[in-house]
Amino acid sequence: MRGTEGDGEEKRVREQSQILKEKIARAQGQFAAETASAPRVGAEMTGASRAMRLGTEFIAAILVGAVAGYLLDRWLNTAPWLMLVMLLIGFAAGVLNVVRAASEMNRASPPPPGSDLGPGRDEDED
Amino acid sequence: MAEPNKVDPIHQFQITDIVSFGEGGFGFTNSALFMVLTVGLILIYLLVSTGRRAIVPGRAQLVSEMLYEFVANMVRSSAGTAGMKFFPFVFSLFMFVLVANMFGMIPFFFTVTSHIIITFALAILVFAVVIVYGFWKNGLKFLKLFVPSGVPVYVLPIVVPIEVVSFLSRPISLSVRLFANILAGHITLKVFAGFIVTLGALGWLGWLGAILPLVMTIAITALEFLVAALQAYVFAVLTSMYINDAIHPSH
Repeated sequence: MRGTEGDGEEKRVREQSQILKEKIARAQGQFAAETASAPRVGAEMTGASRAMRLGTEFIAAILVGAVAGYLLDRWLNTAPWLMLVMLLIGFAAGVLNVVRAASEMNRASPPPPGSDLGPGRDEDED
Repeated sequence: MAEPNKVDPIHQFQITDIVSFGEGGFGFTNSALFMVLTVGLILIYLLVSTGRRAIVPGRAQLVSEMLYEFVANMVRSSAGTAGMKFFPFVFSLFMFVLVANMFGMIPFFFTVTSHIIITFALAILVFAVVIVYGFWKNGLKFLKLFVPSGVPVYVLPIVVPIEVVSFLSRPISLSVRLFANILAGHITLKVFAGFIVTLGALGWLGWLGAILPLVMTIAITALEFLVAALQAYVFAVLTSMYINDAIHPSH
């Protein structure tokens, strides 16, 4: 009599600890998913500040390229060639900056599910 | 300077000595005064509001805790848990820029962040931290930041200079953005407020017309409060993203 009661108790405790274990695993998975997901930054930004961000990213790279080329020219006495080359490189770096910033913004605010994004890649194979 | 009745939107950014030491141009300026006030306000508020360490926080303590949580979440989401080492740094920057911007919204107060040398100094500080920590943590592997993975070797001579210029442009864009937003906002505010006075000189018809710039001034004031908070947020977010680059130098 006493033995079976003890068995029931043990079974109940084991079941509960099993449930608890599952709960912990689920919570851990959730936490990992939250912390491991790609940086979602800038979802709170307004349109004006996004525009400002893109503009300054673009202009700053061109300025840095031009100034670096100018200083290199003065140092190496190669005016105006390095400045021209660095201006173009600065231009490319500006485009790179803008593309990076824009893709960050896109990642931060994905389109809501079910929205019509136009024909997808797999649809226009014909 | 301009006559008292003339609208002079730049006058508010003038730096004047409050106390000067000798003739060497060395002095305690109004800019320095407001930096001290900013830091003082942050220190006193945080110390006083968290001094009681109540388990159920009061209003003041709740605001402090929300500020902490806000910045902590921002650092964690963009630089991961490894980035929490830099939480004090990001939090200090965020609070300084936020409070300095907000001080600037009070009439007759000087706006510290409207001078590019201040914002540039902050941005350079961020980059010194990123570069020093990046090299200290990753050694020469930090230079991988300039070599994107999966790029064929023969394009590297073009890609690496582009990446270097892109990296060098970050402190410029970081500082110019904050400075330009605050400067432009304050000048616009002053210009529209000036229109009210100028129109008022025309008599009753002028005062009637002055309603339009008055409405604009009120709207821009609200917008400027938003910009002041937002730019502090943007500055802190970008700082933590650049710190993320120092921790994981690969694209």
